[in-house]
Amino acid sequence: MSFFEVLSGIFQGLNVTLTVTALGMLYAVPFAFAAGIAQHCWRGLAYGAVTALIEFWRSTSVVILLYGFYYTLPSFGLRLSGITVGSMVLGLHIGAYGSQAVRGALQALDKGQSEAGRSLGLRGWQILMLIELPQALLAMVPTFINQFIQLVKGTALVSLVTLTDMTFRAKEISQLFYDPPKVYFALLVAYFILCYPATIIGRWVERKVGAGRKLDHAV
Amino acid sequence: MLFDLSFALSTVPKIAGALWTSILVALLSCIGASLLGFGLEIARRSNRVMRYAMRFLIDFIRSTPLLVQLYFFYFVLPSYGIKLPALAIGVIAISIYYSGYLAEVFKAGIDGVKPGQFEAARALGLKRLQTIILVIAPQMLRNIAAPMGNYFIGIFKSTPYLAAIAVYEAFGAALDISSDTFRYTEPMVVVGTIFLAIALVLAWLVRRLEEHLLISAKR
Repeated sequence: MSFFEVLSGIFQGLNVTLTVTALGMLYAVPFAFAAGIAQHCWRGLAYGAVTALIEFWRSTSVVILLYGFYYTLPSFGLRLSGITVGSMVLGLHIGAYGSQAVRGALQALDKGQSEAGRSLGLRGWQILMLIELPQALLAMVPTFINQFIQLVKGTALVSLVTLTDMTFRAKEISQLFYDPPKVYFALLVAYFILCYPATIIGRWVERKVGAGRKLDHAV
Repeated sequence: MLFDLSFALSTVPKIAGALWTSILVALLSCIGASLLGFGLEIARRSNRVMRYAMRFLIDFIRSTPLLVQLYFFYFVLPSYGIKLPALAIGVIAISIYYSGYLAEVFKAGIDGVKPGQFEAARALGLKRLQTIILVIAPQMLRNIAAPMGNYFIGIFKSTPYLAAIAVYEAFGAALDISSDTFRYTEPMVVVGTIFLAIALVLAWLVRRLEEHLLISAKR
């Protein structure tokens, strides 16, 4: 098999990789905003509860989360497909990191902004939606792009719970035509093709926005 | 029974025993990733050709999943007659993966040192490499200790990936128990809790370190 035949064979798993990424984003973005805003606005017990939730999804190893949910949910009577569990776990894991970007961007705003809103007679949610979030959005973009890359790369893990994504396809091809150097190099190239554009855009945006990579992380 | 506490407790010794392997892998990978990341950053600064070559290499490392890099070394090295134990391959893969991230941390650290330091070193007749290792590196450590610490936590949280190449570390031990007993809930909860607890303690230590360095920097 030529290198390009191997590569196109690997890309037969692209639809699973992209599906898990897209569904993962559906979990990650709302969770990041909801949890980040809650951490910014809430105090006391509610703050502790949302922080604990974020820390659970953020600080547990994602491999363990994926295996744990995939293999233990059935014993609680919940039979979910690999795609559902994989995208939920990866999405919430990435979303928990994203929430720290949301919270950080909101807290980096000058206090005078919310005070000015209050003195104009705006309510709390109006201050958040009309004054704070629009200004903070830009500062979140670099981290969001970096986390998106982490999500795409994280989808390789769903091959461990038997989904036929690109990584799983590579393993199949490697077993059929015994040529690991070619197959696994092609797999590296496949992920590079997917993620490199986002890396370039991310670097460009970061230079424009000027925010550091301090909330960036690696799955 | 959904969760059998006595069974869960009976899995603890086996998982905790294998935790030493996880810790060993994490420590070796922290050292490997730091040295390699520093090397990449120094090489990136040496000349124009190296600048683009190293930037591309760092982007390549950052744009491909850790799991795929792990498979790459695990399946490809033997084809070239290099036979290493799986644990060593795990350390190599994690070191290379995180070196891409640490190189960016070192870049920010070196850029953060005042230009006068470079000029003073040159006035003293130090060569470029001497300047960076003897003058710049000790000063930048203060600025990058916190981000480095966060990546070290990331390295620790990545050690369960090694179960995919049959290294017997804490998560591998938990999977082992699961496949022997057909019970996933208890071993997964136990290993997840252990990793979460260690990650939270480490994160707390990094935060303390960050505050300490901020205070001592203000003096």
